Parts: sequence; structure tokens; C-alpha cells
Amino acid sequence: MPKHKPKRGAPSIDMTAMTDVAFLLLTFFMLTAKAKPQETVVVDTPSSISETKLPDAGTLTITVSKEGQIFLDMAGSHTRMSLIDDVNSRYNLGLDDQEKLKFANLGGFGVPRKQLKKYIDLSPTERASYKSEGIPVDTADINNSELADWIHNARLAQFRMKQEGKVKDEYVMVVKADKDTPYPAIEKVINTLTDINVNKFNLITSLEGGAKKEGEE
Amino acid sequence: MAEIAQDTGGGKQKGKKVRSKKMSTKIDFTPMVDLGFLLITFFMLTTTLAKPQIMALVMPDKDVDKEDPPPPVKESKVLTLLLGADDKVYWYEGITDAKLDSTDYSAEGLRQVILNKMDKVKGIFGMEDYKKKNKEGVEEDLKGSYINVIIKPMRESRYKNLVDALDEMAITKVRYYVILNVSDLEREFVKNPAGGLKFSAEEQLDAATN
Repeated sequence: MPKHKPKRGAPSIDMTAMTDVAFLLLTFFMLTAKAKPQETVVVDTPSSISETKLPDAGTLTITVSKEGQIFLDMAGSHTRMSLIDDVNSRYNLGLDDQEKLKFANLGGFGVPRKQLKKYIDLSPTERASYKSEGIPVDTADINNSELADWIHNARLAQFRMKQEGKVKDEYVMVVKADKDTPYPAIEKVINTLTDINVNKFNLITSLEGGAKKEGEE
Repeated sequence: MAEIAQDTGGGKQKGKKVRSKKMSTKIDFTPMVDLGFLLITFFMLTTTLAKPQIMALVMPDKDVDKEDPPPPVKESKVLTLLLGADDKVYWYEGITDAKLDSTDYSAEGLRQVILNKMDKVKGIFGMEDYKKKNKEGVEEDLKGSYINVIIKPMRESRYKNLVDALDEMAITKVRYYVILNVSDLEREFVKNPAGGLKFSAEEQLDAATN
């Protein structure tokens, strides 16, 4: 019997498996990073010293553009489905199941209720260039305000979903506005929110560069 | 290591048979894996950093409890900020014989106004330094509890002005502040500062509950 000779030379490791994992992860992160829904309107948020991060819970975002148009976006397709079901039957928007499903995955929108069907039926590219006129607000008569109605019903829908165990938390209210938005537009949103007893909400800001904490003498 | 066997074209030129070298077809994957992990790290970091910052805001309840109204505030403690056009802040103290002054949002502007007011109130009331130990046992100055700030953004102001004003509240640690609507009187006051602010007690209450 010949003797076993110990192998000489550098041991080589098969890297294939590791490469596979690495690129799988890479693909995953790239896709999730890009999966962010398209912004319906671009806003440049003002800076502040606040370092609190947006919580992970579902958010209901009210975006106010530079021109003062109001857009809404809510997280959670279950909630959105329940919301549009409710709104559709209440105001006879004439949406079919296909359109409701589209709404559930739509992202932000800023059209009056009557134009919602038309807006949903647009193709994604058409939607990107669509001139939204914003959600109508009526601060004098809260029952007539579409914004108040949307927010109220969305919170109810989220609450229903919470009871069914599909979501964990109630909505965190977020107001996102451009730094050049005139104050009256913000005032409308704040008044609407306090009118429907939402007294606690969050303003989105970006971190101030090189802010110094002073005032402590 | 990562060499690819090349067919040397002039192999037969010297009449000798040249054996093509036996080469390994194995490619070293190490740089590729390095690059892969580098990109993973990049994407992981950017996705978590993309979370926006928020600033919590609590508004007072619209329905004021008539039976049990909130306690009145001492006039001398009140500082009213009127956020005006072109990044200007008009401010006045109290309501009786109020004098309108204006400043900007810089650290030397609005912040000094607030800090001066704090010192002034402290002087008037001869307060002890509000110092309290926080959870970690470190003494914290609670100067921010001395004063009440009313923020009134005017129609001409921008959203940035409001956020800047709220930011100053956070920086100077003012604990009691509120956002209210500008009254007609105040609008007149800004236009004509010499005219003074002629609030009657009821009007002030109106303005406060608006």
C-alpha cells in the first residue's frame, strides 16, 4: 500500500457559495432601496435641530406643496383597501375591484374625490406628469372638507385593521411641507387636524447641518 | 491567478512542437466578493439613514372646557412672536403698553430675545434657579419654564419660519408655547407700531381661545 502523501500548496476554498449569498443580499438591498414609491410632489423640507426619527409604525402623511396643494399618503395596503371600499360605497365613486386594488398600491394622491377614478385609471407615466390640484379643504365647514373626511376615514380604517390584527399600531400623523409653503396653507391643515381631534402630529424636517446648541449660557 | 490560457499563434515557427501550457481555469473570486460586500454595506447604510427627522407638535384642544378653564397666565411672563414676511419676527412682551420690535431667526436674533425675556422674568419674580435633577442625576436648568411664548404666524410667513420658531423653542428649552392665529389688532400693530396694542381683557381672551 502506498503511503498517503499530505497535500502540498495553499488550500483553496470554494468561494462560489459565499458569492451567491453576497449577491443575493446585494440584489435584495438594491431592490428594497429602489422600491420607495414615487413621490407625487417634490418638497424641500425645512431644517431643524430635531434628531427624532420617524417611527416605524404606519404613517398617514399630509404633504403640502410649495403652491399649497395638499396630498395624502397612507401606509398599509390592507387599510387602504378598507378605506377605498368605504369611501367608494359612500360617495358612489364607481370604482371596480381592479381600480380599488390599484388605489391600495397607489402611493400618494392629491385629487378631488370626483377625479379619483380618472386619476387611478391613468398609466404610471401619465400619473407622474399629471397636474394634481390637491385635495380640497374647507375649514369653515368640517363636514364638507374632503381632507378631513379622508383623514377621519383612514384612521377608522386603520383602527378596523388593528382590531382584525392586520396592523399593530394606529396611524402616526405626519405633516410634510415645503419650506417655502405659505403659512395659510399649513394653517388649513393644522386647523383641519385639530377640528377632527388630532392634536398630536409630527412635522417632517431635515437635519440641520452644523447646528450649534446654544442658549444654555 | 486569474489568467486565461492564450493560444500562442507562432508556436510552430521554429519547427518544434510546442505544447500548450496546462493552465488552471479557476478564477479567483475574492475581489468580486469584496466588491459585493462593499455594495451591500453601502445599500444597508443608505436605506437606514434615509429615515426623515420629525418634530413633534402638540396643539391645544379646540374645545375649551368652560367649567374648568385653564389657569390664566401672568402677563409679564408672556412673549408674543409674530412671524412676518421676509423672514422677520415681530415681538412684544405682555399686552399693556406693548412695544413692537423686530428681529430675525439667527442665533443672535430671536434666541437672544427669548433668553433676555427669561432673565427678565427671573429678575421680576426673584425666582430661585429652577434646577432639578433629571433621571441621570445631572442638574438641569429649567429656565424654559419661566416664560410663556405665543407664536403667531402671519399670512405672509412661510412654513420654514414656523419650524425655525419651534426650533428656537427646542433650543432654549421653552416648555410652554402655543401656536395661535394672528388677531386683526396685531395686524394693525405691525403696520403701525406707534399706535400701540389696544387689547381689552375680553379681546385677549378671544385671541387666546381662537
